[in-house]
Amino acid sequence: MNQWLDDRLHISRLNDKFLRKAFPVHHSFFLGEITLFSLIILILTGILLALSYEPSNSMVVNSFDPGTVDAPNLVPAAYHSALKINAAPFGDMLRRIHHWTANIMVAASVIHMMRIYFTGAFKKPREINWWIGMLLLIFAALTAVTGYVLPYDNYAYNTLKVIYSIAASIPWVGEWVAQAAFAGKFPGDGVIPRVYGYHIMLLPGILLALTAAHMLIMIKQKHTQPQYAKRIAYKKIVGVPLMTQQTPIMLMLTLLFAGIIVLFSAFIPVHPVEHFGPPSTTPIDNIKPDWYLLWVFGVLAIIPGFEFNLLGGNINSEFVGAILLPTLTLGAMFAVPMLDRSKENLYYAENPTNHPVRLGIGVAFMMLLAVWSVAGYKPELISSGILTTENANTVLWIATFLVPALSYFFVQAVVRGIRALREADERDRTVHAAHADD
Amino acid sequence: MTRYKRQDPEITRRKFINVAMGTTAAVGGVSLLSTLGAANPVFRLTADKMPPLEGDILVHAEESKEGRPITVADLSTQLVRAWAQGQDENGQPVIRKGDPNNILAVYRFPQGQLVAPTNLDATVDGQIVVYSDICTHAGCSVSDSDINAGQMRCPCHSGEYDPKRGAIVTGGPPPKPLAQLPIRQDGERLVVAGFFLSPPYPYHNNEAEWNNVKEEVEEALT
Ligand code: FES
Repeated sequence: MNQWLDDRLHISRLNDKFLRKAFPVHHSFFLGEITLFSLIILILTGILLALSYEPSNSMVVNSFDPGTVDAPNLVPAAYHSALKINAAPFGDMLRRIHHWTANIMVAASVIHMMRIYFTGAFKKPREINWWIGMLLLIFAALTAVTGYVLPYDNYAYNTLKVIYSIAASIPWVGEWVAQAAFAGKFPGDGVIPRVYGYHIMLLPGILLALTAAHMLIMIKQKHTQPQYAKRIAYKKIVGVPLMTQQTPIMLMLTLLFAGIIVLFSAFIPVHPVEHFGPPSTTPIDNIKPDWYLLWVFGVLAIIPGFEFNLLGGNINSEFVGAILLPTLTLGAMFAVPMLDRSKENLYYAENPTNHPVRLGIGVAFMMLLAVWSVAGYKPELISSGILTTENANTVLWIATFLVPALSYFFVQAVVRGIRALREADERDRTVHAAHADD
Repeated sequence: MTRYKRQDPEITRRKFINVAMGTTAAVGGVSLLSTLGAANPVFRLTADKMPPLEGDILVHAEESKEGRPITVADLSTQLVRAWAQGQDENGQPVIRKGDPNNILAVYRFPQGQLVAPTNLDATVDGQIVVYSDICTHAGCSVSDSDINAGQMRCPCHSGEYDPKRGAIVTGGPPPKPLAQLPIRQDGERLVVAGFFLSPPYPYHNNEAEWNNVKEEVEEALT
C-alpha cells in the first residue's frame, strides 16, 4: 500500500522535503501557527455564514416585524438575513466565532511580526517573507473591514460611509475610485453585492495565495534558529519534525485555541445588529473601528481641518490622516529589512537587548500607535473630564512626539541596566570558575 | 565569448515570438483593464436623489414621524432632522432621501442668538436656520454635542460645529462649515428658498462640481 502510493505520489520525497521540516521548540514560534489556524477557522465559519447570508441591499419586508399592509416595514435584505442568522440555532454563535477569530488573527499576526522584528528574523535571507507578511497584514485588515459592512445595519452603514469618503478623498481620482469600488454613488444600489464579492472571493483568495507563498518560502528558508540551538549544534537545524512530533503539538494548540474562541464567543457578544437597527440617518454615538485601525481613527480625530488645492487636486485633512499618514506608517514597516545591510545570512534569532537601537525604535513605534489609538478615544477623554475640548488636540499632539521619544530613552536605560547585570554575572562566573580551578 | 556582438541582419524567430507575445499580453491586459469601467455604474438623477430645491417643504426625518411636515412649534435649540419633500415628474410628493447626503438639521434660536457668519437673510426672522446635517469631513450625520452644550458634534471623528455662527468648525478635522440652506416660512410650514448657499457634502471641496449638479437639476426640471 505504501509502496503503491509512493510510486504514484512520491510521498517519500514529500516526506523528506516537507513533512520532516524541523520546527524550533519555543513558544514564540507558535504565533504564526495561530494566525494560520485562525484563517482556517475563518474560512470554515465564513462558508457556513455565506450559506445563509443574502448579499443584497434591496429592500424587503422585515419578517420579524412586518408592519402593516400600507406601511410595510422595509429593511435591506442583507440586514434581514443577518437577523435571520441571529435567530437560527447557534447562528449568533457562528457570527461571534467568526468575529472573534478575525480579531485574534490580526492580534496573533501583529505579535508574530513583533517577534520577527525584535529578534531580527526579517534580515537576509528572509526579507521577502517580511514583505509578504506585511501584505498579509494589510489584506487581513481590508478583509476585516469589508466583513464589517456585510450585516448592513446602521453601524455598518456609517462605517461604509466613512470608508467611501476616505476613498473619495484621494486627490484627482478619488471620486472615480470610490464609485468604482462601491458600485456607484454612496450608497449605491449594488454596494452590498460588491463588498460581498470582495469579502468572500477576492480578498480571501489573495490571503490564501499570500499565505501559501509565505509558508513555502518559510519551508525553503527554514525558521531562524532559537539561541539554544547554537549551543546544542552549531550551524545545524535543531527542532522537532512536522511529522510526527510537531503535528500533535499543532493539533493540541488548534483545539485549545478553538476552545478558547468558542468560550469567548459564548460569553462576549459582538456587533448586535438588532441594537443598531437598519441603516438610518441617526448617527451612532462613539462609533469606532476595530482596535487595529483605531490609530488611523485617532489621527483623524486630532488632525486639524484644512484643505488646499494642488494642481487641480484637492488635498484635505481626511486624505492626509486616513491615507497619506497610514501609507507612510506602513511604508516604514515595509522598509525595515532594507535598513539592515548585513551580507551574511542570519541563522540565529538575535537577543533584542543586543540591538538596543532597533529595540528602542520598535518600542517607540508601538507607543506612537498606542498614543494615536488613545486619541481615538478623544470624545470619551473629554466627556470624562481628563481633557477639555480646548486642550485635547494640543495634549494629544505633544504626546504623539513625547511618548515615543521617552519610551526610546527608557528602553535604552533598561537595556543598559540589563547589560550591567549580565556583565556582573559574567564577572561572578569567572571569579567562581577561578576558585573552582584552585 | 567574443567582444563583439554579432549583428543579425534579420530578425530572429525568437525575437519575433517575444515581441508578438509581449504585444498580445499588453493589448490583452489593457482590454481586460477597460472592463473595469463597468465597475462604475451610470448615475441617474431621479427626483428622490435631487438636493433640496426651491419650493420643497421640510418634513421630519425621524422614523416615528417621518414625512410629517415640520411646524415652527416642533423646533427648538435642539437639532431636528429633516428631509426636503418635493414632487416627482407626475406631481406626486416625494421625499428626497434617495441621496442620504440630503439630510438636514433644523434649529430655532431665540431672537438675536443667531449671528454672522450665518446668512440671516436665508433664515426665518433670524430665528430658524437650516443646515446640511452631513459633516464636511467624511460625511457622517452630525448631532447635538453631548460634551459642549449648544454645539454640534460629529460622532465619527469628533468634528465640532457652532450652529449659531453659521455652523463654522470649532473643533476636529472638518475642513468647512456645514452648508446653509435658505428657507422661508409659508403658514405653518417651512419652505426651501433655493439651493444650499455653499457646496454641501460631498461637493464641498469642488465648487465646479456643485455648480454642475445645480445645472443638471435645473435642466432635469425644465
Ligand atoms: S465625518 Fe465628521 S468628523 Fe469625520
